[in-house]
Amino acid sequence: MQCKEIELVLEQEGLEPLPEEARAHLAECRECRNYVADLTSLVDAAKKLPAEINPPDRIWLSLRAQLEEEGIIRTPADVIASERVPFWRSIGDFFRSRALATAMVGILIVAATVFQVRRDRATLIEPPVQPAKAVPAPPVQKTSAPEAPPMFASAARALDDQEPVATGMILASTSPVDVSLRENLKKVDEFIADCERHLKEHPQDELTREYLSAAYEQKAELLSAMIERGRSIN
Amino acid sequence: MCLRMMGTAPAQPGFREKRILLPLLSAGLLLWSAAPARAAGAEQHIEKLFNVTGQPVVVIHNVANGRIEVKSWKNAQVDIVGTQSSNKIGFDIEQVGDRVDVSANVLDASAQPLELEADLQLTVPEQTELQLKTETGLIYVEQVTGDMKLESYGGDVHLKEVSGYIIVKTTGGSLVCTQCAGKLDFSSIGGNAQILQPQLNSINLMTTTGNILFDGDFIRTGLYSMKSGKGLVEVRFSSTDSFDLKAQTATGIVDNQAAAFLKPDSHGVKHIANKFAHGLFGTVGLGLAKVELSSYSGTIRIMKRD
Repeated sequence: MQCKEIELVLEQEGLEPLPEEARAHLAECRECRNYVADLTSLVDAAKKLPAEINPPDRIWLSLRAQLEEEGIIRTPADVIASERVPFWRSIGDFFRSRALATAMVGILIVAATVFQVRRDRATLIEPPVQPAKAVPAPPVQKTSAPEAPPMFASAARALDDQEPVATGMILASTSPVDVSLRENLKKVDEFIADCERHLKEHPQDELTREYLSAAYEQKAELLSAMIERGRSIN
Repeated sequence: MCLRMMGTAPAQPGFREKRILLPLLSAGLLLWSAAPARAAGAEQHIEKLFNVTGQPVVVIHNVANGRIEVKSWKNAQVDIVGTQSSNKIGFDIEQVGDRVDVSANVLDASAQPLELEADLQLTVPEQTELQLKTETGLIYVEQVTGDMKLESYGGDVHLKEVSGYIIVKTTGGSLVCTQCAGKLDFSSIGGNAQILQPQLNSINLMTTTGNILFDGDFIRTGLYSMKSGKGLVEVRFSSTDSFDLKAQTATGIVDNQAAAFLKPDSHGVKHIANKFAHGLFGTVGLGLAKVELSSYSGTIRIMKRD
């Protein structure tokens, strides 16, 4: 069995039980063993996430629109034409059409952008509000980090979910490696925040998008390394 | 007791002896008190020699903190010398055909960082493929030809006179590549990259906050891409070089100190810079190689070597 076949087996059949041939290949191939170890750590980390998360409706709406736009799913056509359909359902069907769903999402994005721009303007005009003395300042990273651009939203969310798991695994460690990993995570986070801020002002800036995309990849690798480290020291 | 006896000795001569003896006694006491600890964590050496027939593949996974040094010789043998600071780590070394696997493993999870130091010194045939992974120590490779993948979290990577397809990945470690040939991929978050006197025909360097320095010749038909998120990207070329240049930065600056050598694109291609970026396009010589430099917020500096 070859490395590519292992990927295929894992994709189709999951992590276990692996066929005999695959196990034999793993015994000889360190790359594939590392790959399986990475997958296992990701699955383990995913299992630690809260199981019941009810995403807001807007997520479903945008997800559905995107899937329809890419042709991955289609709105089912009316199966029984002769059946009498209440008028409200036909209105619903009308609103479920692909073009309109896309338009709706577009309107929502425009509305959100307008809202964001207005809020930014308001922030510029209004004098800064002094925080109450008794209230401790929240972490800088969370407050200063702007929202990820729409095209990176899902990646950013997945990484944000993964970050506390990964950092938690090496939280207590004072070894130079873990200190270095944490420092570099901070650097990447700051860079991502910087790029996101810039993209908010110039959404069409391709160069910044490239850098942001690369930074997300680096962050994913870093979190994966932290999880791997955490597994080895715990 | 000894000190008290000296204290009762005649004043003037004894005073001088005391001044000499005191530091000696202190040092002796210190060594005596440290002796058991040193015995428990005594340095240990291991050496193994493997015969190989073809081009060997050496795989090292050093989970300890330590240096990996690889040099070459004419023998068809792989020699491995491991040094460990304590018995809380152990080496696993095995040979399967022409593949030699070495890993340093932590045997005692409660060990302190200082007890987890393991250095590896390898001597391999000139044509050897390497896959090295360490955590914080330096990776040093000299005069080895063959594909290599070198990974480190915090350690630096120093390469001298190596050639092949070289992949270097670090988290915070820096790369210094002197007289390297072939193809080089480097990616890092905080590490710098210095490419000195290269004979590389393909380069792909990417660091988020580190600096990049390329000081050498661009091979004709070569492709060179150097990107730094926040750092400085500096290229020093020679007047005999021939390359097309594309330099772009989103919020940084392009510092062109070689304007006299940089002509507008000579291939009749009109470049249009990203309207959000500061760009510089031009050609040196006939524009045979392709050089792409970019930085998100850092400086891109282009200069000619003396």
